[in-house]
Amino acid sequence: MHTQLYPFSAVVGQEELKLSLLLNAVNPRIGGVVIRGEKGTAKSTTVRALGTLLPEKTVAVGGTGCSPAVVTLPLNATEDMVAGGIDFQRAMKEGRRIFQPGLLAKADKGILYIDEVNLLDDHIVDIVLDAAASGENRVEREGISCVHPASFVLVGTMNPEEGELRPQLLDRFGLCVEAAAESDAEKRAELMVRREAFDADSKGFVMQYREENDRIAKKIADARELLPRVVIPSHLRGFISELCRENNVAGHRADLVIEQAAKAHAAYWGSREVSVDDVTAVAGLALVHRRREAVSPPPPEPSQKQEENQKQNNCENDEQQEQQQPGQPEQEDGTGGRPRQEEQERGDSEGNEQDEEIMAGPDGEQPEDDNVSPVMEQIFDIGKPFTVRKIAYPKDRKMRRGSGRRSRSRVSQKQGRYTKSTVKRRNDDIALDATLRAAAPFQRYRDNDKGMAVVLKDEDIREKIREKRLGNLLIFVVDASGSMGAKGRMVASKGAIMSLLIDAYQKRDKIAMVSFRKDGAVVNLPVTSSVELAANMLREMPVGGRTPFSAGISKGYELARNYLMKAPEAQPIVVLVTDGKANKALGSGKPLEEAFEISGKISREERIRFLVVDTEEPGLVNFGLAAKIAGLLNAEYFKIDDLQADSLLDIVKNATS
Amino acid sequence: MKKQYTYPFSAIVGQEQMKLALILNIINPTLSGVLIRGEKGTAKSTAVRALADILPEIEVIEGLPFNLAHDEEPDIIRECFAVTGEEMPADDGLPLGKQKVKVVELPVGATEDRVVGTLDLEHALKAGEKRIEPGLLASAHRGILYVDEVNLLDDHVVDVLLDSAAMGINTIEREGVSFSHPSRFTLVGTMNPEEGELRPQLLDRFGLCVHIEGIADPDDRVTVMERRFAFEESPEVFCSQWNGESDKLVERIRQARELYPKVVVGRENLLAIANYCLEVGVDGHRGDIIIMKTAKTIAAYDGRAEVEQTDIDQAAMLALPHRIRRQPLQDIVMDIGPVLKNKMHEVVARDR
Repeated sequence: MHTQLYPFSAVVGQEELKLSLLLNAVNPRIGGVVIRGEKGTAKSTTVRALGTLLPEKTVAVGGTGCSPAVVTLPLNATEDMVAGGIDFQRAMKEGRRIFQPGLLAKADKGILYIDEVNLLDDHIVDIVLDAAASGENRVEREGISCVHPASFVLVGTMNPEEGELRPQLLDRFGLCVEAAAESDAEKRAELMVRREAFDADSKGFVMQYREENDRIAKKIADARELLPRVVIPSHLRGFISELCRENNVAGHRADLVIEQAAKAHAAYWGSREVSVDDVTAVAGLALVHRRREAVSPPPPEPSQKQEENQKQNNCENDEQQEQQQPGQPEQEDGTGGRPRQEEQERGDSEGNEQDEEIMAGPDGEQPEDDNVSPVMEQIFDIGKPFTVRKIAYPKDRKMRRGSGRRSRSRVSQKQGRYTKSTVKRRNDDIALDATLRAAAPFQRYRDNDKGMAVVLKDEDIREKIREKRLGNLLIFVVDASGSMGAKGRMVASKGAIMSLLIDAYQKRDKIAMVSFRKDGAVVNLPVTSSVELAANMLREMPVGGRTPFSAGISKGYELARNYLMKAPEAQPIVVLVTDGKANKALGSGKPLEEAFEISGKISREERIRFLVVDTEEPGLVNFGLAAKIAGLLNAEYFKIDDLQADSLLDIVKNATS
Repeated sequence: MKKQYTYPFSAIVGQEQMKLALILNIINPTLSGVLIRGEKGTAKSTAVRALADILPEIEVIEGLPFNLAHDEEPDIIRECFAVTGEEMPADDGLPLGKQKVKVVELPVGATEDRVVGTLDLEHALKAGEKRIEPGLLASAHRGILYVDEVNLLDDHVVDVLLDSAAMGINTIEREGVSFSHPSRFTLVGTMNPEEGELRPQLLDRFGLCVHIEGIADPDDRVTVMERRFAFEESPEVFCSQWNGESDKLVERIRQARELYPKVVVGRENLLAIANYCLEVGVDGHRGDIIIMKTAKTIAAYDGRAEVEQTDIDQAAMLALPHRIRRQPLQDIVMDIGPVLKNKMHEVVARDR
C-alpha cells in the first residue's frame, strides 16, 4: 500500500465539482469553492486529487524546498501553526527570534484545503479569512512582527448534517457546489471497479490514468497562460448583473466571481473571448449559496428544501384530495379552522391511527397556514424572511458576546482543543511549546547550572487557551399526543420550537429532541449540532394518541444526564413543550400523580435547567397542569401565546446566561 | 512477570456476525472497520482483545514508531526518521522486522495530543531540539484502532479520527510541530446505543456494523459460563486447549488473504449492488464500495474465487444497517435484517 493520491481523471461523475476545482486552478481570483454534500461522495478525494494536476511550487517565506500545491489545514491546527510563530530550535541556537512560517505561508500561490470546514474553530477561521481577503498574512505575535504574501485558493468541504457554515464565511467562497451521490447504477458499478483497482494496486492505477491526467494538467497550464488575454464583452457584464439581480444577491461579490469564473471557463476551453455559454456554465455555481441570503441566513438552502417539501406535500395532496375535499373550501375562505377541528375530534374518537394520518398529512397542516395567527405561520414557512429576520439580526450581535462569555468559562477547564496561548496566568494549564518559544531567544544569556538545555523563568510561562465547541445543549421534549393537535396547538408549538432551533444554530449549541405520545417516548434526534436534521424531524413529527408524560420527561432527563457524564461543564436546558395532561403512566400508578412525582425528583439535579412551554388553550377550563409541573421542576414557565419571536429570545438568553 | 493470557477468539460462544465482521476486516483491512453495537456484557471487548490471538504478521521498518512498510514513499520514510531524531540508514539497508498486527486501544478520555502526537517535551527541554512524540494514530498504522464506547468520545477527538480515517494520513499542525505520516487503520468501535448515537459522519466511516445481544439459548449460556470459568481457573491450560482451533483460523485467514486479490465480481453483481443501494437509499458511495469489498472477502474466506449472490446478501447485512437513511421519528433500528432481505429479493427478482 502506498500513500498515493487517487488520480483526478479517474473520479467518476461529479462534473460540477470537478469543473469548479478546475476553474479555480486556472484562475485563483475566483475565490475558492466550498463543496457541500452528504458523506461518501468523493468530496475530499476529488480535492486532494487536484494536487496531482498542479505543479509543486517554491515556498514564499522561509524559502526551503517545495510545498505541495494543495496544503491541508487540519481541524486541530493551533493558531501558531496556521499563522506562523517563532522557530524554537533556531531561537535556541542563535538567540534571536526567527519567524517560522505557518500553513498560510505554505499555501501561498496554491490551494488551502479545509476538510469539514464547518467544524473549524471560529478564530482559526477568522485568521484564514483575513489572509484570504487581503492576500497577505500579518503576524503580530510572540514578539514577531511580519507580513508575508499569502494568496491562496480556499477550498472547503462540508457535510451539512454536521451543522451549517456561518453565512459570512460562506460568502467568502467564490463558488459553491453540491456533491451528490451518482444515481446511475452503471456509473456506480464503474466507481466500485475503479476504487477496488486503486486499492489493490495504486501505483498501477495511477499509471493507467497518467495520460488523461497529464492532458488535463496541460490544459490548466495553457489556460493559466491564456487567462490574462481573455476579454469579456461589455454586454455580457450587463447579463451578469441582470442574473445577480434576478437572484436577489446582496453585494457585488457574485458579479465579480461570475466574471472571473467565466473568464477561466473560456480560457480552459481555449477561447479568448467570454461567451454567453461560459457565463451560464458558471453562474449557477456562484449564485447557489448567495441567492438565499436575501431570503434567510440560517439553514443555507431552506428555500430549495422547502420547495421539495411542498412538492412532496402537493403529491400527497393529490392523493388525498378525494377524501378531504368537503373540508377545504371553507378553510380557504378564511372562516377559521372549524372543519379542521371537526376532523380532529373525529380522529380523537375514532382512534389514534386515524388521528395520526390527519395530523401528519399536509391537509391537516397547510390550511392552518392561511387562517391562524402569525406565530403559527412560522412553522411551515421556516425559510421565509420574516421569521428569520426578527430572530437573526438582533441575535447576531448577541451571539458574539455570548460566545465570548462561553469561552471564558471554558478556559477554567483543562479540556478541549488547544488553539492558542496567552501570557495571562490562570490555571497552570501550561502551553509548553509556546513557553519554550518564549524562552528560546534568551537561552544564551541565562545561567544554566542544572544541565538542562533550556532554562525557564517565570516570565516565559504561557498558558493554553482552549476552545470547547458547543458547550450548551438544548433538549426539546415535545408532547405529541392527541390533545396537542387540538386547535392548532401543535402548529404553534412547532413554531416555537423552530425559533428556538434557529437560535441554537446561531449559538452553535447542540440539540436533541424527544417526543412522547401513544405508548411511550422516543428520542427523535440524539444529541447533534445539525439544526437541519432537527427541523426536518420537527416538520414531520406526527401527533396523536395518549400522553405518556412521565416517559417523556424521564427520557429528556436521561439524555441530559448522559450528556453531563460526557461533558460535565455543559449546561443542558430541557425545553418541555406540553399541556401537562398526562394520561399514561410508566408504572401502575395514576399518570398525573406519577408525572408530579417524577418532576419533583428530577428537579433535584441542579445542573439541568428546565423550561416549560405551556400549550394549554387559554379561555377554556384551565387545568394549569403544565404550570404545576413547572413549579415542581423549578422551571421557567411560559404560556405559548407569550411566545412571540422577540420574547422568545429573551427566554433563551436568560436561561443561558 | 506472568504472561498475560487473552481469552482465545475461537472460544467465544455464538456472536457469529461479530466474529465474521472482525475476521473479514483482518483479511481485508480496506474494509475500514467494524462498529459493534450492543448491550453491556456481550463479549464485545473480549472479542476485540482476543483478536491479538489470530492477527497475521506484517513487515515493518524497525526503529521507527510508525509501522511503516518498506515500500512506502522514500520521502515519507526519510521524514519519519528525521522527526524522531533517528539516523536514516542508506537506501538499500532499511532495517526490516516482522511484527504482529497491533490492536491499539484509544481510551475515551484520551487527549488530542496523545492521539495525534505532539512535541517531545523532555527532548525539547534537555536537548533544546524539536522532536516528535508520535501518538496513537502512529502506532495504529496498518493495525487496528480500538475505541471502546466510541459514542462517548469527545467531539474534537472524533474530528481528528475522521480526518485521518478519510485519507489515511495523520497531519499534525500543532504545538510547533508540522508533520504528517501515514495512518491507515481498521477502526473498531463498540458502543451501547442507549448512551447516545454516533455522529453520522463517524458512523459512515465504519465499514461494517453489527448488533449483538445476549445469547438466548440456555445451553449456550451455560457453555459461556463454563468456558469463562475454565479460562479464569487456568488460563494457560485453557488457551492451549484452544490452540488447535486458533491455528486453524489463522491458517484460513492466511489463505483468504492470498486468495482475495484473485476474487472476481461479475458486472451483473456490481449492478445488483448499485441498484440495491439506490433502492434502499444510502448516502454517498461508500455503501456500494464496502458491500463489494465485503462480498469479495466473504468469498475468499469461503475459499471461492468468485462472488455469489449469497455473498452479496450477507455483505449487505453487514454494510448497510448504519447507512440506510433514517426516517424521521424512527429510532435507529439495527434489526433491519427482514427489511434488507425483502428489499434485496425484490431488487434481485426485478433485475432478473
